[in-house]
Amino acid sequence: MPNSFHKAIKSALADENLQAALDGNAERRTQGRLTAFASLPDAQAMRQRAHAVRAEVIEHLDRYLEQFLTQVQAHGIVVHQAADAAQAVKIILDIAHSRAPAGPITLAKSKTMLSEEIHLNHALEQAGIRPVETDLGEYIVQLRGEPPSHIITPAVHLRRQQVGQLFHEKLGVPYTEEISEMTNTARRTLRQAFLGAQIGLSGVNFGVAETGTLVLMTNEGNGRMVTTLPPVHIALMGMERLVPSLDDLALMMALLPRAGTGQKITVYVSLIHSPRRPGESDGPRERHLVLVDNGRSAIRQTPLSEVLYCIRCGACLNACPVFREIGGHAYVGKQGEYSIYPGPVGAVLSAALFGASEFGHLARASSLCGACKEACPVDIDLPKLLLRVRAGEVSPVTPAKKAVPNAPRTLKLGIRAFSLAATHPRLFGIAQRLAGLGGKLAAPRSMWMRLPALTGWGANKDIPRPAVRPFHARWKARRKADAGGGRSQAAFIRKMLPPSPERSLAAPPSPLMGEGVGLRPDGENTGLARFSAELEALGGSVTLCLESELAGRILDLLMRRGIQSVMAWDARGLPRGLLEVLRRGGISVQHEPDPSLRAGITGALAGVAETGTLVIPGGAGRPLTASLLPEIHLAVLRKGDIYENLSQVFSLREVREASSVVLVSGPSRTADIEMTLTIGVHGPGEVHVFCVG
Amino acid sequence: MPRTVQLFITCLLDSLYPETCEAVVRVLERARVEVQLPRGQTCCGQPAFNAGLRGDARRMAMHTMRVFENAQGEVVVPSGSCAGMIRHQYPELFADDAEWLPRARALAERTYELTEYLVDVLGVTNLGARYAGKLTYHTSCHLLREMGVDRPPRALLAAVQGAELVELPGAQECCGFGGVFSVEHPEISSAMLERKIANIESTGAQVVVACDAGCITNINGALHRRHMPQRAVHIAEILGR
Repeated sequence: MPNSFHKAIKSALADENLQAALDGNAERRTQGRLTAFASLPDAQAMRQRAHAVRAEVIEHLDRYLEQFLTQVQAHGIVVHQAADAAQAVKIILDIAHSRAPAGPITLAKSKTMLSEEIHLNHALEQAGIRPVETDLGEYIVQLRGEPPSHIITPAVHLRRQQVGQLFHEKLGVPYTEEISEMTNTARRTLRQAFLGAQIGLSGVNFGVAETGTLVLMTNEGNGRMVTTLPPVHIALMGMERLVPSLDDLALMMALLPRAGTGQKITVYVSLIHSPRRPGESDGPRERHLVLVDNGRSAIRQTPLSEVLYCIRCGACLNACPVFREIGGHAYVGKQGEYSIYPGPVGAVLSAALFGASEFGHLARASSLCGACKEACPVDIDLPKLLLRVRAGEVSPVTPAKKAVPNAPRTLKLGIRAFSLAATHPRLFGIAQRLAGLGGKLAAPRSMWMRLPALTGWGANKDIPRPAVRPFHARWKARRKADAGGGRSQAAFIRKMLPPSPERSLAAPPSPLMGEGVGLRPDGENTGLARFSAELEALGGSVTLCLESELAGRILDLLMRRGIQSVMAWDARGLPRGLLEVLRRGGISVQHEPDPSLRAGITGALAGVAETGTLVIPGGAGRPLTASLLPEIHLAVLRKGDIYENLSQVFSLREVREASSVVLVSGPSRTADIEMTLTIGVHGPGEVHVFCVG
Repeated sequence: MPRTVQLFITCLLDSLYPETCEAVVRVLERARVEVQLPRGQTCCGQPAFNAGLRGDARRMAMHTMRVFENAQGEVVVPSGSCAGMIRHQYPELFADDAEWLPRARALAERTYELTEYLVDVLGVTNLGARYAGKLTYHTSCHLLREMGVDRPPRALLAAVQGAELVELPGAQECCGFGGVFSVEHPEISSAMLERKIANIESTGAQVVVACDAGCITNINGALHRRHMPQRAVHIAEILGR
């Protein structure tokens, strides 16, 4: 293993803060994932379907890309294709320079690993553009001047004390260990960036080929901010991140957040179709899609192509016992440079994207325990891919090019000698006996030996002495074999084990029998009841009322909060007369985005019972900011518009045709500091649904 | 007529644990199976395969296939990772080899891990074994996740007369062995093993049962070095009592 990697491993193992943070991450995320998957009726079948969907896309990527890009362009989004990192950076710089007025440019970013991959922030700074990371975790690591250590929780390597100190030093706020206070500080600071930025830049979780939809899944609301507030939005997307249809998207949406954060759905899912349309009061006037190859199409031709199925949920990192020990920053290349993507998938991706000679050694840091494959929501066979990297099977298969394994030389020699013996049974038998005799000489009075530390084994553990007569040599005379033997492992165990009770053939109860995944009975819990239960579990509230009572209920809530001005949809999207009654009640109602307003009132196209989700389309008279900028979001939903699941909602015409649709499931939240849930980040901290039936 | 199985005893058990091998035979015989041990068997090739050295792995796999092609009937392997190597990795190893791929598949199809064979093929869970005291069970990674075998060993242990089974916290977590991984990355491997040892200690059981000699060697190596009283034992040691 390269020195750089060894050094990074040793320093990670010795870092107590890091170890505590990683333990917390592994335990919470694993539990969260298991609980979230238990709520699916047939999780394994869904994983297999998702695998098949991704395999289909990667197999026919050209076709799906063409379909997707045609749709995207037809919707008025400017499409740019970048062959590599340098081109992608240049495209973004060109957009920034040509669209933003002279003077300082601020670019507000939501989290995108692809921007890390192309080293965008560095290039922007060089060009005099200020990139501001707005995801809380990403903001923290940007302030620290380091890359994210995890693909979905960038600051997972830090503890709250370190973040408190950082904010104190960099932002001049008093030191605190209260995570909610730190989150508030970030909210205040970053709000200025959202409102002042000339450009918003986001990643793309999925592109939907059939509809040309750009899908962005976030929790804090910063993704919605950067795609809604600045006049220009740039979406940065890896070319492989496609699904064929909205139905496939529904499947991925059920799996990705469950695997990544243990959520049934992320708080926000933005379905973006076009820039602001005539008559709309918010949304960027320009949208660009920068589609990046940067080695992806080449990977399709290699034995590692399955790694392109990855949907970047981070579950394999959380499940990996090696990641748990060393964290993301220890995954470094030969020269000590960070592997942008750490963990099991990162070990494969970095070797595939950036070269096996630089990063191939990372694939050797795995016990091949398979926890990554088990956690993967699209069932990528990561152990298989790690083994292929080890075997040097990283390039397109040609007869001319031979795979070169990346095993260390001593290991190669050792295995060569071993395989020579193992293919010659007599030789093997002799080697076994020699090992047995050697062991006896080395440790005549013990059945254990101590190997030198440099073997890798001897530093922390002993090894049993090989048998002088291996089993196969005893086989013929096995009935006569002396089972006692005095110094054998078995004799030791037998001595240690207490005497057996009388034999009886009656089987005792089986306390360890597989418990199976219980299905939650869902009999009467349908429709509104399910919707309410799910939303309330996420911290939202649901009030059932008659249409005649609606205005009174809303007025009542506003009065109790001392709110006199609200931002609201116009009358076309709300029950008739609602705004009139509010105005008569002394509430001033605005339709233009105004960050000083504390409450926003919107309608909703639909509700989704199984996730407690509101489906909110943008459009003329329906500003998206009404459900985004204020602290309190009040939504009016008709009882008859509650659907069972997302697939049903995705078949609605409005979902496919609106300039943007946002799915809202509860108040905005983050768990970026020590996995501690904090409600109310950039989006509203309260969501109240008035269900009219 | 009793069933006959071909036992692939595996190089690690053969070399380090001949008494465990005898227990394996005893267990199979208790299940009324006649055991044969095909001559010339050595190693399945897993160490070379995991090291990325596929040329060496292929040679060992071809040797193993030749040995078992001369022996009819189901092949039983008392090790999850070796069984997984044959069933899942031989086909990968010979994916582009028109001559050997069918042979690899043929062997893969008739190869079973010991507990899987007992419970899923023979339908036996109660072997009349007795044990007085606490036992806990470590699920070896390859057995659990590569072979998908979890219920059989647990059912077999649950039927052991007198045994008190306690769940091992983090039973599904890797012990840090991983074959060549444990010598290439001893620091990470030891850190993983540390957690396993602490979990074993927390159960209060003196005996942790596993179905893979790799895990057993790894876990016992640390227990012995620290002079701890607990031991990892192969499931056949318990079932054969």
